[in-house]
Amino acid sequence: MAILTNSAVRVEPRLDKARHIKYWTRCLKTYLPHHYTGNDSNRMYLAYFIVAALDLLDALDTASTGPERKDHVNWIYRCQHPDGGFRMWPGTDFGERANETNAQWDPANVPGTYFALACLLILDDDFKRVKRKQCLRWLQKMQREDGSFGETLVRGQIEGGRDPRFAYCATGIRHMLRGESAGCISLNGQLVKDFDVDGLVRCVRAAEAFDGGIADEPFHEPHAGYTFCSLGAVALLGRLNTPDDRTTSNLNAPAAPQSVLGWLVSRQTEFTDPDSSLDTEFRKTGVAPNAQHAEGEHVSSSRGDATKQPIHQDPGESVGDSIFDLLVDGAGMNGRTNKVADTCYAFWVGASLDILKCSTLSDQSAVRCYLLGKTQHDVLGGFGKFPGDLPDLYHSYLGLAALSLAGSHQVKALDAGMCLSKNARRRLPKMWEAWAVEDRTDLS
Amino acid sequence: MGKYSVDPLWSDITPLPTDEGGPNPLAAIAYSSEYEECMSYLRAVMAANEYSDRVLDLTEDLIDMNPAHYTVWLYRARCLFHLDKDLREELEWLNETALEHQKNYQIWHHRNLVVDKLDDCTGETVFIAQMFKRDAKNYHVWSYRQWLVRRFGLWESGELEFTEEMLREDVRNNSAWNHRWFVVNGREGVPGVKDPEIREREIEFAQAAVGLTPQNQSPWNYLRAVAKKAQMPLSGLKAFAEQYASLGRPDSVCSSFALNLLADILAEEIDGKEKAGQALDLLASKYDPIRKNYWEYRKGQLGLKSSTPEAMVSA
Ligand SMILES: [Zn+2]
Repeated sequence: MAILTNSAVRVEPRLDKARHIKYWTRCLKTYLPHHYTGNDSNRMYLAYFIVAALDLLDALDTASTGPERKDHVNWIYRCQHPDGGFRMWPGTDFGERANETNAQWDPANVPGTYFALACLLILDDDFKRVKRKQCLRWLQKMQREDGSFGETLVRGQIEGGRDPRFAYCATGIRHMLRGESAGCISLNGQLVKDFDVDGLVRCVRAAEAFDGGIADEPFHEPHAGYTFCSLGAVALLGRLNTPDDRTTSNLNAPAAPQSVLGWLVSRQTEFTDPDSSLDTEFRKTGVAPNAQHAEGEHVSSSRGDATKQPIHQDPGESVGDSIFDLLVDGAGMNGRTNKVADTCYAFWVGASLDILKCSTLSDQSAVRCYLLGKTQHDVLGGFGKFPGDLPDLYHSYLGLAALSLAGSHQVKALDAGMCLSKNARRRLPKMWEAWAVEDRTDLS
Repeated sequence: MGKYSVDPLWSDITPLPTDEGGPNPLAAIAYSSEYEECMSYLRAVMAANEYSDRVLDLTEDLIDMNPAHYTVWLYRARCLFHLDKDLREELEWLNETALEHQKNYQIWHHRNLVVDKLDDCTGETVFIAQMFKRDAKNYHVWSYRQWLVRRFGLWESGELEFTEEMLREDVRNNSAWNHRWFVVNGREGVPGVKDPEIREREIEFAQAAVGLTPQNQSPWNYLRAVAKKAQMPLSGLKAFAEQYASLGRPDSVCSSFALNLLADILAEEIDGKEKAGQALDLLASKYDPIRKNYWEYRKGQLGLKSSTPEAMVSA
């Protein structure tokens, strides 16, 4: 029988760049619709999506004027906390009524700080107004004894889960504000300690799951978002083990890079419709469907008891000739085993593979087809979560980012580890050099 | 006029609106007037560190509109504990809120705090069952369940049976498989599948699930993990894998996961590399072409040359 490779017959849809630019320009220039109210306290990350998307589309300079971009930069600095770090939005700042006793309700926020700095970098700000020393000192206090990071510090207590998203953001802040030096550094003549890098690496290693993925905590289910954050964090710390390393180091993570790789490539799936079940696939194998797959609902329940009565089919009779070799129009990524594809996981998985230097081991053409042919919104621009969904900021940005990683030349090249354009990241060394000169002068 | 400004209960409060600081703020939202008002009253009472019943009502109102507000939850918790409120009532309110905001993380963190303080988990599994009815793979709920098991030592209170029940409903629910792994292996000081009896029980369980759904990765992953943790050679699973994928019948493979496992088993055998390569070729060309590049990479790792397109057509 003739077997065609998928890519040979695939016709790749196009990115409707003009519509995406229109979508993001609207997000930049007009109020976001009221249903974003539930994300009011995440505004810095919405801001980052908007600015980073326009940058990836190479439209930042045309979508806004120089004075407008200055206002944007000012707004970000308006969210800077007096004691270092940034808030997610101005909503916790009590202004004239701020005092020592209510300061507890107005903490700096770890992801807020990462996204604020990333936004400033994309807007080509010089970081001159960043309270660098205070920020790094605060950051060090955001780490727990076990190496994990929290979200906020309230009355000396680290709040927020043991969540690698916070660790990832912390390493991003450290990277932007310290450069590649480890250990104690001198800032304006004062010593600033590093955080516990070994502790963070240990946290990542401990959360590697039995099936190869990485979770937020030991024994939790592995998840592509947490896998990205964990790999991204250790990569930014220069503590990454990759599958191609001859030997893996105990001081680095992940402990089993080959298993992580196997788990990541398993995320690619043709199942893209959350409302359909996997019944069709069961039919392909000739096995009666046992259960509904669609997220959040079970329609049919099983026959038979998986524990007591193994119902072994006879594999010999069950298979037709043409069962597996369906030609698909693209395959996105899911975030966990046996879930359907979702736009954002094309980024979380694609970027994880990129960090491990294995991005070509997935079918990148199928990812592009999935994004462009299924979840790109053909009227509004942007991307939805699932095919046919309305676009939202989160999926629209991660869709673009994923597209760049999957080899599209219609968007700027993305730095997977920091999730912004390579172009923007390249501005960092210049700033580090300037600081090095400043810090030396302070010492003398 | 909003509901707070006309309410005599709130007449002593001067609301504190948010100050954006200048023109062209980023990601500004078209807030409803209700939200804007609620937020400015919240800011006023937080600024005054007020802990009162009306504050509890206000935080409920705000959380309903913006559950991601990270300090309002801490503020509410402080208020509850300060006023020594009935925490059972708090749980009831949390039930409704969690059902409404399925994806929110703060709700579960708050629930942790409350149940921990109550030092009693009565009713929790009933509520969890309700959540799972809506989404049997909700990450926060499974994480919370693990916390409950550890915090209240529920390892042997029907937890294993619970995973069976969840898997009976959907044998592809990977969260339930993961929870089973946790229940069996996650307790400090227990051997888990290193105990031969438990190992056999778990292998049987996973193999039965494969029997129901051969093209279901979860039980295959589980089987491999049991073998690895129990330090059992992978070859012990060869006969089982060959029921679903055999090189002798390359047109009748009914599980790509069986074929992948077979490739790993063959690769460990003396002179098995060529055969492992055949299994990987079958995956690349026919049974799992979406991962073709990965299967080729795996061949490369075995020191085998990658296939030419011609070789694949004849496979
Ligand atoms: Zn998503």
